[in-house]
Amino acid sequence: MTDLGNVALWIAFLIGLWGSVVGFVAGRTKRQDLARSAEHAMFALWALLVVAAAGLMHALLTHDFNVEFVAAYTSRNLPVFYTWSAFYGGQKGSLLFWALVTSTFGSAALLVNRGRYKELTPYVASTVAIVVTFFIGTMVFAANPFERLGYTPVDGRGLNPQLQNPGMVFHPPMLYLGYTSIVVPFAFAVAALISGKLDTGWLHAIRKWTLLSWLFLSCGIILGMWWAYVELGWGGYWAWDPVENASFLPWLTMSAFLHSVMIQEKRGMLKRWNFGLVIGSFLLSIFGTFLTRSGVISSVHAFSQSNVGWFFLVFLGLAAVAGFGLLAYRWPALEAEAKLESMVSREAAFLFNNLILIVIAFAIFWLTLFPVISEAVRGTKVTVGPPAFNLVNVPLGLLLLLLTGIGPLIAWRRASVGNLKRQFLWPTAAMLVVAAALLAVRMSYGYSIVAYALAAFVVGTVLQEFWRGTGARHRLHAEPYPLAFVRLVGRNRRRYGGYVVHLGIVMLFCAFAGLAFKKDTEVTLKPGQSVDVRSPYGEDFRITHQGVSQYQILNRYVTAATVDVSKDGKYIGTMRSEKRQYLDSMGRPTFEPATAVAIRSNMMEDLYVVFAGSVQGTEEAVYKIVINPLVWWVWYGGMVLAFGGLITLWPGAQGPTPASRRRAEPAGYVARVDG
Amino acid sequence: MWRASTVSALALCAAAGLAAQTPDTGPTEAQDSTAIVNAVRLGPGDSLGRLSVPEVAGRSLRPVTAADNSAIVKDIEEKIRCTCGCNLSVYTCRTTDFECTVSPAMHQVVLKRLAAGMTEAQVLASFQKQYGDMIFMEPPKHGFNLLAYVMPFVGLAVGLGLVTGIVRRWFHRGGAPGAPEAAPEAAEVPAAGVAAEDLERLKRELDDFEA
Repeated sequence: MTDLGNVALWIAFLIGLWGSVVGFVAGRTKRQDLARSAEHAMFALWALLVVAAAGLMHALLTHDFNVEFVAAYTSRNLPVFYTWSAFYGGQKGSLLFWALVTSTFGSAALLVNRGRYKELTPYVASTVAIVVTFFIGTMVFAANPFERLGYTPVDGRGLNPQLQNPGMVFHPPMLYLGYTSIVVPFAFAVAALISGKLDTGWLHAIRKWTLLSWLFLSCGIILGMWWAYVELGWGGYWAWDPVENASFLPWLTMSAFLHSVMIQEKRGMLKRWNFGLVIGSFLLSIFGTFLTRSGVISSVHAFSQSNVGWFFLVFLGLAAVAGFGLLAYRWPALEAEAKLESMVSREAAFLFNNLILIVIAFAIFWLTLFPVISEAVRGTKVTVGPPAFNLVNVPLGLLLLLLTGIGPLIAWRRASVGNLKRQFLWPTAAMLVVAAALLAVRMSYGYSIVAYALAAFVVGTVLQEFWRGTGARHRLHAEPYPLAFVRLVGRNRRRYGGYVVHLGIVMLFCAFAGLAFKKDTEVTLKPGQSVDVRSPYGEDFRITHQGVSQYQILNRYVTAATVDVSKDGKYIGTMRSEKRQYLDSMGRPTFEPATAVAIRSNMMEDLYVVFAGSVQGTEEAVYKIVINPLVWWVWYGGMVLAFGGLITLWPGAQGPTPASRRRAEPAGYVARVDG
Repeated sequence: MWRASTVSALALCAAAGLAAQTPDTGPTEAQDSTAIVNAVRLGPGDSLGRLSVPEVAGRSLRPVTAADNSAIVKDIEEKIRCTCGCNLSVYTCRTTDFECTVSPAMHQVVLKRLAAGMTEAQVLASFQKQYGDMIFMEPPKHGFNLLAYVMPFVGLAVGLGLVTGIVRRWFHRGGAPGAPEAAPEAAEVPAAGVAAEDLERLKRELDDFEA
């Protein structure tokens, strides 16, 4: 089965080459037989990659340690649950996973759009095939997951302990799904540019895909934050690590696209910009993959350094030249259909929202690469850590939060003074009240005060939109309020789902602002000794060390330190943090001991206890104790954000707006091209 | 050596019925853990319990002192990076990666330099002299490094300029305004007793909300 997987990979490479070419020929010559062949090549690619993935999975599950990848990332005593993580825990397996998921999305896109967008689909098939074939080529020539060793080890090295966490079972696949699903919008954009079908048809085809991709990226990023928080033990969830940044970059550009595409659909404007955003998002997804694999920038998340990075760099360059070259070629045909009627309009607000999102993306990209740039230009290495990222991004983020509130308040085309007064009154009042209240309680961090005040403003705008919309339906159709609310959302899920997403974003900002009030300390305690810690809310926690126990469980030896916790003199529970020394099947230690954190969480704050280690092998324990305000809001904010995305994505929501449909109608061509 | 002691410790645990499947969290399990601790803790002539297998509990640590938690130490260590290659500040590394031996050593250097009477700025300067600019968690704000901080805002300024240019162009172009949005279907029956004028206003309002 394992060898069959290897053979399937090679056949997939050859079929991928065919599929990469035949779709373009079919598009140029309009030959239906070739178009069908391109489609079938994509389905065959998918089937062969399924066989290859099954082959690798079989090798993992049967402990075929003669396969280098299996020996490097698993061991006999690795719980089956984490064997799945091992699939993408190493570079070679992750490449196969990437290719498989991309081909799945490509096949699904062709199936969903069967009989539609006939001028586009052959090019779509070929573009996706090129991307998949690149990944397969990288595997077969540089990083084959089926590569065999000259001998068979008795046991494997095992999976990195930090990957043996439920978060890692879901976080990387989610990110991969996000990265790979961008391929479909990119393929449609390339198809539209090559074929010259520049109406909004391609936008309709990718509507759900862009949302899906954004949703996967959002969930992947939040899950990654959760994993970092519960597993790494540093008491935070975002460190501006290059690989974290790499996942955030396409999220930012996709978020910009989800806003600017509305302007194209409604007003026929920003066509070039939207093509640019889709191409840029795809390139950034490849850039993220390149960063993790090239070793060009050190990161805790990076795979080991290898020559695979060069493959990605070349592919990135070629894709950029092809994508932006096509855009430049079609540039004259992508004039806006309408003019901007007022600077005080939703179009203008969205323009500025896009600008800030892209500037944030640029800032993160620039700062992430600055160490490389500095070394190349001056020969001097510098470190760009969280302080630099925060210095630049916090003000930009607050500006974005402000625009999140302003955008929905301003009417399309032109807002009147009366409209502005009516729309801004209550949200602004909410913002001022919150700011005054925080100043009254002497909150000391300026950025946090601004963040909470703006959060009140945005929540005010969202609630006002729901309230007024529901009220209008209630009065017009005599519907009870709950029914009016449900129908209001149901009739425009995109808009109201978007508002729910904004609420999620507000929750995240509130949580981030809470980081300013984080408290941490280190203590050494003997059994029975206590330490008192005061929270930012003035609550007194007493943490009493109970002792340290040791035992073996599953594939690890555990040293567990237990503390009793009381708050304001009242016992609230027991917490246990662990050191886990993982063992191979022969009882030998593998990797360094990992730390399992104890967390007690509520809406106000997290009590985060880390057993750092013992003093001279005794039960005298060193603890790191952190009080982290508002972390709960990160996870629930993430859920609200995902929920909003699902509302927007839910099947049955109305399709493109009437204006957008009109733009796509006349034989697939733009109705009017200015200039 | 490690293996021998581990095996013997496991045998001890097994004999005491301690190598059981101890669940991860919860008060009941915590009580069990305490029982385990009590069983293992005290040896003859030893006032503090010793771990049965200290080798698996990570690197042996020193007791934390008041100086370790002092604000100035934390402030300095958050500004300099650990040179082990982890990309973390010395403070974050030494309080997160408890197996790292580099950050605790750098921490001791900070303590010694402060104890010798150096100020925070002098300690930071001494690290810069020793390692260069790369020792700081953010590039020092001078010379070429200023580009790191300035470029995002230059990007913002350029972006603002571009957007303003585009907007002006759109303003001044003689193109016709975009086609009006189609009115959404209003299939529902309006409430009885609503005046025609109010009905129109509400419809406009609802169109706006549902557009």
